[in-house]
Order: sequence, then structure tokens, then C-alpha cells
Amino acid sequence: MKNLDAAGSNSLLEVADLEVSFASSAGIATVVQGISFTVARNETVGIVGESGSGKSMTSLAIMGLLPPKAKTTGSIKLHGEEILGASERHMRKLRGNRMAMVFQDPLSSLNPYYTVGMQIAEAYKAHRGGSMRAAKLVAVDAMGRVGISDPQRRVDSYPHQFSGGMRQRIMIAMAMCCEPDLLIADEPTTALDVTVQAQILELMSQLQNESGTGMLFITHDLAVVSQVSQRVLVMNKGKVVESGTTEDVFSTPQDPYTQALLDAIPRIDDPIRALKKVEMGMVSEA
Amino acid sequence: MITYLVRRLLAAAGVLVLVALLTYWIFFALSPDPAVMICGKTCTPDRIDQIRATLGVDQPFMTQFFTFLGGIFMGRTYGSGEGAIECAAPCLGFSFQTNQSVLDMIAERMPVSITIAVGAAILWLLIGVSAGVISAVKQGSWWDKAAMMVALSGISLPNYFIALVLQYVLVVELQILPFPSTPAFGEDPLFWFQSYIMPWSILAFGYASLYARLTRANMIDTLGENFVRTARAKGLSSMLVLRRHALRPSLTPIVTMFGMDFAGLLGGALITETVFGLNGVGKMTSDAISKNDQPVIMGVTLMAALFVIVGNIIVDVLYTTLDPRVRTKVA
Repeated sequence: MKNLDAAGSNSLLEVADLEVSFASSAGIATVVQGISFTVARNETVGIVGESGSGKSMTSLAIMGLLPPKAKTTGSIKLHGEEILGASERHMRKLRGNRMAMVFQDPLSSLNPYYTVGMQIAEAYKAHRGGSMRAAKLVAVDAMGRVGISDPQRRVDSYPHQFSGGMRQRIMIAMAMCCEPDLLIADEPTTALDVTVQAQILELMSQLQNESGTGMLFITHDLAVVSQVSQRVLVMNKGKVVESGTTEDVFSTPQDPYTQALLDAIPRIDDPIRALKKVEMGMVSEA
Repeated sequence: MITYLVRRLLAAAGVLVLVALLTYWIFFALSPDPAVMICGKTCTPDRIDQIRATLGVDQPFMTQFFTFLGGIFMGRTYGSGEGAIECAAPCLGFSFQTNQSVLDMIAERMPVSITIAVGAAILWLLIGVSAGVISAVKQGSWWDKAAMMVALSGISLPNYFIALVLQYVLVVELQILPFPSTPAFGEDPLFWFQSYIMPWSILAFGYASLYARLTRANMIDTLGENFVRTARAKGLSSMLVLRRHALRPSLTPIVTMFGMDFAGLLGGALITETVFGLNGVGKMTSDAISKNDQPVIMGVTLMAALFVIVGNIIVDVLYTTLDPRVRTKVA
């Protein structure tokens, strides 16, 4: 894991020994177990892992959006400033402003009762102030930038009047409207079909190039992560089992779990065979 | 939108005719001979026949029903010759007990029922919805537990029981309030308020309990929605997240329920009015039932059905402004 600290002090996001646990009557469940990584400006770090591996909990912990009963320890620094344990008031100033998030299911992540323009505008207004009318103009501009045609008219449409891909573009416009330093994308393309998925990935990397935003890209899709990220962390059962540059991890996987994951991808040049099972016993119990 | 409305109104008219047919049939089948009731103790068979002919109850069922229905739209004449009685549209007939026009009887008592319904509705909306919201936000707290306990008792305790206990404690023992009555507002507003506050509270208690539980459940559901998480991720204040993103979706189902409950109450708060002896439509209905006064029961039933149906249509139209997804479907 040492190689991930290579980004050094100019890191945008530094996560160290992050641990998230939930206490219940059945005992304490630790869903994230001491993970560490960094994200630099203009860099994309991918987190891959299956459902329940703790990747979404990691992203919610960074945003400070975990449910109150979650216990978080370790350190999360944004621009060198410790934000783990910061007041809700302070976190509110960071959320949507310095760091923003795009979620998996754009339909349920947008409020069906308000126009998309209003929902983008309120994110801008919350941090930059000004009138709702001025914020709406920003929303029109943001919608144009994410490739929504005729944004002046579409700004007053409701989420259900858009297709899945367009909705995700709106989520991205909303996340990017305050030009955050860090964008956390939690399975942003999972709910979309493959062609739309490619368009969204292209849009995200284009926006990243324009703004220099650092990105934490969370997915279970190895193909997607190999496409977008420079570095990757493989998570399983709350632990990082392998990390390194995307090229290294994909070409010479060290951990048996990573090897099994990569091996499970069906290849077009392979003879037809049954899908391989990823054994849970493969996890290196470090 | 207009075709939608026309369709709804036509359907409403159909439902009303059906309700009328059903109630008319029930009383036709179950009631004792109205002519005997009207005629009284000293009565000759000739006189009974004469009354039957005047009321039209010597006719077959469907003829009677259509005469009744026709009376509502075009008015009707009871009897013929010199003793004929005109009843202008909308004619709901005359009470067997008092010979008063049913329409006049309803109109006379309507203001009391409206006052009771409006006052109670304001109370239960204010108390029920805010208690539900606070309970949902402070889920599991002592407030939540206490409020839900009170709400459960409000749903399970019969309101005539609470009414009698309250009346005994507040009016008879402590003498804080006057006996509930129906004074006019203009003469003495304070006395008017004091006279109505107990019926309002009793009626509102049951509804507020229901609304608190419903609001709490809706609110907890909505707070778990992804779009609420998005709102928080945008950095909105918790107050704004609650008010703008959680409250509105939680309240839309409440609007539907309120429309029906309120419209239903306009047809008279039967128990509350009877327990407190308030002369509204509800008490009139209960009196009419005990005396088998068929025209009054018919009139009140039809009017109540009309209120509920109209209330329903208003709610549905309102829904199109409340929920943009419905708006698109209707337009």
C-alpha cells in the first residue's frame, strides 16, 4: 500500500486508517477496516469491490453522510485539513462545495417534486448565495456543459421527464456547479445501459480535464475502473486487499482475490466455459 | 385536463344516482308504511290510502325512485287538486315527523356542522401533522414515544367516552367551560369559542392521532429516500432538507386523506353532535334514524355522498399541482 502515498503532501484527499463500525445488539460490525489512500488533484482513484465490501461506506464517511449511529475513526484530510469529526456546520460548507458526490441511481437521487433547474440552483445558492434567479442561470449553464440540449427550456422540466442518462448528466451538473476540488462518484454508471455508460464516463473525464478535479470513482465494474482511473484500490470485506497503478493491478495482480476477480471476467477470445466463482476463502486475512 | 374533469364529473353523477338508488331501496324495503306514520293513531283506512297517493308510495318502486330523482332536478308536486303541495327543485321531500322541507332542515343545521368540521380540522391538522413531523425527526426519543402513545389512545379510545369525561371534569366539576352549545359568533366571540372548543377538541383528537401516525410514517420513509441523501450531499441546511425535500413528499398523501375526512365531516359529526346535543346535521340524522324519518335520512345521505365525491374530485385536481408526475399523466 506504500505506493499509494506516493502523491505525498500535495494530496487533495488523504485517508488514513479509516475504520467504520456499527454497533448493534448482535455485536459490533466493522464495515471498513483501517483503509488508507490518497487522491491528488486531477487524478482519478478507483475503488473496486463487490457489494458489501465497504466501498460506499468509505465514500459516505468522507462526505460525513454516514448515519449517526456509525462510529468512524482514523483520519480524513481534505487539503491537509482534518475533516473527520468536524462539526456538522463545517461539513455542510464543504459538501457540495469543496467536495461533491454523484450517486448510483439518478432517478431516486433526484427529488421528483422539483424541477431539475431548481435542484441544481439550490446547490449553487447554498454555497454562493445570491438570488434563486441568478442561481437558475448557473443551472442553465451547468446543464449546457454536461451536454443537455436546449437547457433554457429543460431547466424547468422534472426528473421523470428525462431519460436515465440525461438524469445522470443532471446529477453531474449539480455536483460540478460549485466547481468542487473532489468529486466522489459512487457507481455513477451502474444503472445505465452500456452506450450511455460510455458517454457519461467520457463526460466525466472531460469535465475533470477542464477543472482539475480529483475524483474517487467507486464501482464493482472492473472494465469501467480500468478505463477511468490512474490508480486503483481493490476492497474486500472492508479491507484494501490490493492497491497500485491501474496498469500494475490489472496486469500483475498480487492478491488471490484480485486474481480471482480478474479471472471471472468472461473474455471474447476464451473458449466457452462456466463463469468462475470468486471464493470468499481467497481473502488474505492480513 | 378538461376532458379529465368532465370524465370525473360524469362518473361522480353516476355514483350519486347509485347511492340514491341503494338508500331509496333500503328504506323502501325496510321502513314501515310512511302513510301510517304520518296519519297517527286516529286514522281511517281511507285516509291512509289518500296519504299514500299523495306521497306516491302506492306506485311501484322504480316509479317512486324516478319521481324522487326527478324532484331533485325539476321539483315535484305532492298530491293533486286543491290540496296539492308544490316542492321546488332541488326537492328532497318533507320530513314525516315535522312536515318541514328536508332541504330547509339541512340548510338550517349546516352552519353548525360546518363550524364544528372547520374548527376541528384546523386543530387536527396543526397538531397531528406537527406532532408526526417532530416524532419522525426525533425518532426513538422520549417525545416520539410519548406522542405515539397519546396517538394510540386517541385512536383506540371511543370519542364519546372522552367527551363525557371531559364534559364532567371541565364543565361540571371545574366549571372552566360552559356546556357546549351553538351560539352565533357575532354576539359574543369568546363565548362562541368556549362553547365550541370542547366538540372541536374531541373530534380533532381521533383524527390528529391518525394524522400524526401517518405523517410520522411517511416522513420516516421519505427521510430514507435517496433524494434526501442528495440534498444533504449538496450541503443544504438540515432545516432546508427537512422542509423542502422531506416534508413535501410526506404531505401529499395527507392531502388526499384530509379531503375525504373533511368532506365526510360536512355530512355531520354524528357522535360528537349527539353527545354534546349540538343541533347540526349529524344530530338531525341520528334523530331521523331513531324515528325512521325516511326523507330526512335520504336527503342527508345524498348530501353527504355529494360532499365526499366533490371533495374527492377537488383532491385529485389539487394533486396535479402537488405532484408533477401526476400532472404529466393528466395533461
